[in-house]
Amino acid sequence: MTSRLMVRVLVTLVAFAVLARIPVGFDVGFKFDSGLAVIWAFGLLSLVLLTGYVGQISLCQATFAGVGAYAAGMMTATFHVDYIVAVAVGVAAAFALGIIVGLPALRLHGITLAIVTLGIALVFDRYVFQDHAFEWFTGGTGGWSVREASMFGLQMDSSKHLMAAYVVLLALFCLVGLLMVNLHDSGAGRRFRAIRDSELAAATMGVDLIRYKLLAFGMSAAIAGLGGAFYPLVAGNVSPQPFWLFTSLQFAAIAVLMGVRYVPAAALGGAFMAFVPDVLTRFGHGSLFGHQYEISYDWFQIAVGVLLIVQLIALPDGVWGDLRHRVGHARSTVGALGGRRVKVA
Amino acid sequence: MTMLRVRDMTVRFGGIVALDGISLDLNRGEILGLIGPNGAGKTTLFNCISGVIHPDRGSIFFEGHSLVYAPPHVRARFGIARTFQNLQLWGSMTVEENLVVPMDALGRRNTFSDALYLPFSTYAERASRERARAILHVLELDRHARTLAADLPAGIQRRVEIARALAMRPRLLLLDEPAAGLDAQETARLAELLHAVRQRFHVSMLLVDHDMSLVLRVCDYVYVLDFGKLLARGQPSAIRSDPKVIAAYLGEESKQSTGETTTVVAAPKQAAPLLEVKQVAAGYGGLEVIRDVSLQVRPGEVVACIGANGAGKTTTLRAISGMIHPRRGRVMFAGIEVTGRTAERISKLGLIHIPEGRGLFPRLTVEDTLRLVSNTAGHEVDITPAFQLFPKLRERRRQLVGTLSGGEQQMVAMARAILSRPRLVMIDEMSQGLAPSVVRQLFEIIRVFRDEGIAVLLVEQFVESALDVADRAYVFEHGSIVLSGAAVDLRSDRKLVAGSYLGTAVETPAMAAADGNGHRVDPALMEIVSVRVPAKVKRALEQRAEAEGRPTGAVAIELLEKVDRQ
Repeated sequence: MTSRLMVRVLVTLVAFAVLARIPVGFDVGFKFDSGLAVIWAFGLLSLVLLTGYVGQISLCQATFAGVGAYAAGMMTATFHVDYIVAVAVGVAAAFALGIIVGLPALRLHGITLAIVTLGIALVFDRYVFQDHAFEWFTGGTGGWSVREASMFGLQMDSSKHLMAAYVVLLALFCLVGLLMVNLHDSGAGRRFRAIRDSELAAATMGVDLIRYKLLAFGMSAAIAGLGGAFYPLVAGNVSPQPFWLFTSLQFAAIAVLMGVRYVPAAALGGAFMAFVPDVLTRFGHGSLFGHQYEISYDWFQIAVGVLLIVQLIALPDGVWGDLRHRVGHARSTVGALGGRRVKVA
Repeated sequence: MTMLRVRDMTVRFGGIVALDGISLDLNRGEILGLIGPNGAGKTTLFNCISGVIHPDRGSIFFEGHSLVYAPPHVRARFGIARTFQNLQLWGSMTVEENLVVPMDALGRRNTFSDALYLPFSTYAERASRERARAILHVLELDRHARTLAADLPAGIQRRVEIARALAMRPRLLLLDEPAAGLDAQETARLAELLHAVRQRFHVSMLLVDHDMSLVLRVCDYVYVLDFGKLLARGQPSAIRSDPKVIAAYLGEESKQSTGETTTVVAAPKQAAPLLEVKQVAAGYGGLEVIRDVSLQVRPGEVVACIGANGAGKTTTLRAISGMIHPRRGRVMFAGIEVTGRTAERISKLGLIHIPEGRGLFPRLTVEDTLRLVSNTAGHEVDITPAFQLFPKLRERRRQLVGTLSGGEQQMVAMARAILSRPRLVMIDEMSQGLAPSVVRQLFEIIRVFRDEGIAVLLVEQFVESALDVADRAYVFEHGSIVLSGAAVDLRSDRKLVAGSYLGTAVETPAMAAADGNGHRVDPALMEIVSVRVPAKVKRALEQRAEAEGRPTGAVAIELLEKVDRQ
């Protein structure tokens, strides 16, 4: 085990310990938001792999999460399996869909690929998740409601055991996030990045484009699906609304806002997506200096748009990315003043 | 034995025939040159061999395998590596990482084992990195190992491309203009390097380049393409004197340009400088590329900047034209301080910068590109003078700029510059990637610029041609100016201009060193295993067979019988 890997494992463990404690003592709404934050963070993490590492554009990441959620919901509600099996099925379903979506990406690039994935998101949003033909998968208009779910024999019901679901979800996110960071610097990660920087050079230097692009789409969909598969556990039921087209677009916007190449940015983005709308609806009305004000959920969308414009001008590598460069720059400056070289992690 | 066999290769792009029934043989251990005017189909042939595009007709065999249906990465695994004319390094990776990618891509590495840092992966990683460093050492790139590839100057990126191709342990190396943007000295070093690579790693090569000094120095055999057809083939020495090749590609050597032109324009010497750069420093990010650069250009004067790659010539031009902001020092143009002004405001003062990539819009037609000048000039500009200067562009006025050949594109850029009636034109690497005959035409145009009273600041790798046309020159080294003076004086400094364009400095082409590979010609051995025949002997046999109109085998057998009789 290299020292760099040791540091990463240590940082991940500390992050997990701190984050797992945060929702303790808060109300159910806050705990629900925490769980949701990790689910959205998975969605953003899937974009870190697909867009940040491999340079492919996808506007249907929420669809992958939705497929994971519905598959998991179906497995528990109809077959009453252990929830870990439901999650596995959800991830497998998302992975399979990811491979299928990856097929057009073998030929398409940039804006055309974005349009195709947008089309896929639309088909699932308007048709698959809502049509009677797929009732066996979506559980009809009401969706699946999950009661008495258990994982490894432990009770995981959403109403009483929300914290347990949150901790499991967070542990998984830390693990997958760590793997993603490792992947970036490893041989496979370099092959992915080679595809991002120059597909032409990658192919002629021996990188199998078909294999690695499909693998990237599959893995990315599986990551989004893993988060989605926990949605029934956290929310208690599944409905098409959270996985509609707009969530996919929000994923793309917030991934860029926070820094699409960085794993911690996904966690940051997940928290942003889950908490900010809730804070707005909770505290968004009242009076200030005698003026009544009312800030609704719609303001969140506007805020994201404005922030995205500000970020693209001021922080081109995303909030996390630019923060990292600045800290790194400051450290090397301090190091130079002290007469010794500091390696920027 | 024939390593690469291309037969009847035909490629069409829409209505344009890029390759028209090209056949080519490359023997093992041979360095094969491929030359021809811009747009002759050389890069298209490379793309066919490396699998980037699929030919409409024809077949390729490599070491007995048919490559027609093999995707690019499979060809890479067979041992075909290539470099790119328009650099294709992975810019966000360090130079070392760029070399490691092809190494692991060929090995059996597992994505999950990589992500988990399993011992197998970390071991393979260490081994790859060590090999990468060894290759970088051989190519004298050690000090760039940890630099991001995108931050390097173009000339060094070209060397990294060669290093990356070698990292694949190739058996056949396709080099697409490796000497573009290298000066005479660097080109000579490249030639040595290619010889060393062939000897040490037993790599065969297919080389496309416009620098005849390189082609004549390293190639065993040369194919000449023109408009997608094979124009000629033969030994380098024969090609050089082939009338067809001279007419289509090399052009006539013009010897009228010695001395008289420079004496004509001695008049404006006393005039106030048009451009004055005072102790400018500039760079990118944490890197300071130029320091303490001071230079002057007087009205109507042609000034050349020469020096090795990475010496800071391009950065100086960028700092002058406002594409980057100087960190220190001052830039004065026509008596006005322009330091730190934006590029468009500086250009309105009459300073035009033609960058390395020529800065054209590929999807506009020639005529529209030229009409755009009225936009910046603020009034309708008559574009006929441009067509008078470049009659070729009149024929192509409705064609998209992106579909023109490199030389024609450079003409469009220069025509656009002259239409806006500038006082100073800065041209970066005017002749890069252009055929010798085209380069000669462009240098003539520079003289026209001067006759029109337009000053020219030229960055050029072909030192001798640049000094022929220039009044004065500055020599750059490691980011500052080390020498400056009248072009006439610098021209007589042989150390500086040793080894010039068109290979005048190459007295002994590669063929003089026959049997350089250490193989001995042994006909008896040839009979047993044809694989063992040195490339040069094979090529000689083929040529003889073709001259006599008989199969190669028949010639070989006849020779063997002669040996038996003796």
